[in-house]
Amino acid sequence: MLYYLIVCRSLTYAQRTAAALERTGISARTLRSPKSVSTEGCSHCVRIARRDLDPAMMVLRQAGLEPKRLFAAENDGSYTEILI
Amino acid sequence: MIYLDSAATTLQKPGRVAAAMARAVNTLASPGRGGHPAAQRAAQTAFQCREEAAKLFELSDPEQVVFTSSATHALNIAIKSVVKPGDTVLVSGYEHNAVTRPLHAMEGVTVKTACAPLFETEEMVRQFRQMITPEVSAVVCTHVSNVFGYVLPIDEIAALCKENRVPLIVDASQSAGCLPVTPCKWDAAFVAMPGHKGLYGPQGTGLLLCRATTQVLMEGGTGSASILQAMPDFLPDRLEAGTHNMPGIAGLLEGLRFVRRQGVERIGAQERGMIRRMAWGLERIPGVRVFAGTLDDDCQSGVRSFLMDGLDCEQVGEQLALQGFAVRCGLHCAPLAHRTAGTLDSGTVRASLSAFNKPGEVDHFVRAIARIAI
Repeated sequence: MLYYLIVCRSLTYAQRTAAALERTGISARTLRSPKSVSTEGCSHCVRIARRDLDPAMMVLRQAGLEPKRLFAAENDGSYTEILI
Repeated sequence: MIYLDSAATTLQKPGRVAAAMARAVNTLASPGRGGHPAAQRAAQTAFQCREEAAKLFELSDPEQVVFTSSATHALNIAIKSVVKPGDTVLVSGYEHNAVTRPLHAMEGVTVKTACAPLFETEEMVRQFRQMITPEVSAVVCTHVSNVFGYVLPIDEIAALCKENRVPLIVDASQSAGCLPVTPCKWDAAFVAMPGHKGLYGPQGTGLLLCRATTQVLMEGGTGSASILQAMPDFLPDRLEAGTHNMPGIAGLLEGLRFVRRQGVERIGAQERGMIRRMAWGLERIPGVRVFAGTLDDDCQSGVRSFLMDGLDCEQVGEQLALQGFAVRCGLHCAPLAHRTAGTLDSGTVRASLSAFNKPGEVDHFVRAIARIAI
């Protein structure tokens, strides 16, 4: 596994999510969701490093920013959904 | 030119506003419409603008900040979200056509009007208390009259709405940037404002601060949930169909930053100080009737209306323009306010200030009026 994608309901929500993570020192980048993880058409997500998942989830819970869905990017280019 | 028409549009802007807009034209694409750097920069600018507005208006969530093309656009969304055909709506007697026309256009809507005389704050509260009866399904109230600068007792009106569980829509067109605008403290359903007045952004920008369920005014692409044919059910996307006005938003961001740097209290106090100086000067000119409250700081903002004996208000405006002063005359798109104040037939001459006016300009203006009055 390479990294995680936190799928968000909107671009603004993704930006809020990334900002909350960055404020606590967790590197987070907002990007358009890969088509394969986006069931409703275009959406946005936040990419975080593999090692940052647990602290990131804690920060987001504290900030009241619930992720819509979470995916792990695999070495073969696929994405596996992680149940939140 | 000495510009005294900021209640319509602040013409003098912080230098960074125009610079940001020019930069935006060449560097910003559309937020959410691509993963490339130009789209990412646009997304960042839009987000910064929402965050800046959320800080200024004490909102915890930048998603509650919706970009509109004007306060009128924002008010249309707010009114059509809250008011349904056949409803009864209570408004103040100082509303702009941006409020009264959408209400008039809705089928079967009854509008009750609290028409207290100018600057009679206690009477205004008393009327709202008396008229906020069970059939009233919404209150729409301006924070400041765009004609007279009258600051309505919005805290008290908001408390009455809360007590009676009636949604409140506040038109903050004349107060945003020079008075505290506090949607959460008011528990307002919506607060609408333009970007191009006291927030020092460009024309074609506005904000709607949302704290209630919204009705879509316009459908279209949002860059989100695009497989669905219904508009997204989340803000701000739900209310922002189509490509964003990125040069406008970039300019508005710099305007908001300017207001936060200067401080709303400071800007407001400076404007009120100069407008009192103007009223003091005008009241001493024979034949000039100034619509001013007491010296109480709380009841009037940086806007003054006046009339001159024997002169049509538009004639005064023309003579002032010839002498290099920009004011606004007539009904100011607010016939209801003029009817309430008894100036529907005459209209008024309105002078309004911004953070960029200087006391010396006010003194020049008073001398110009004195010359016209001779």
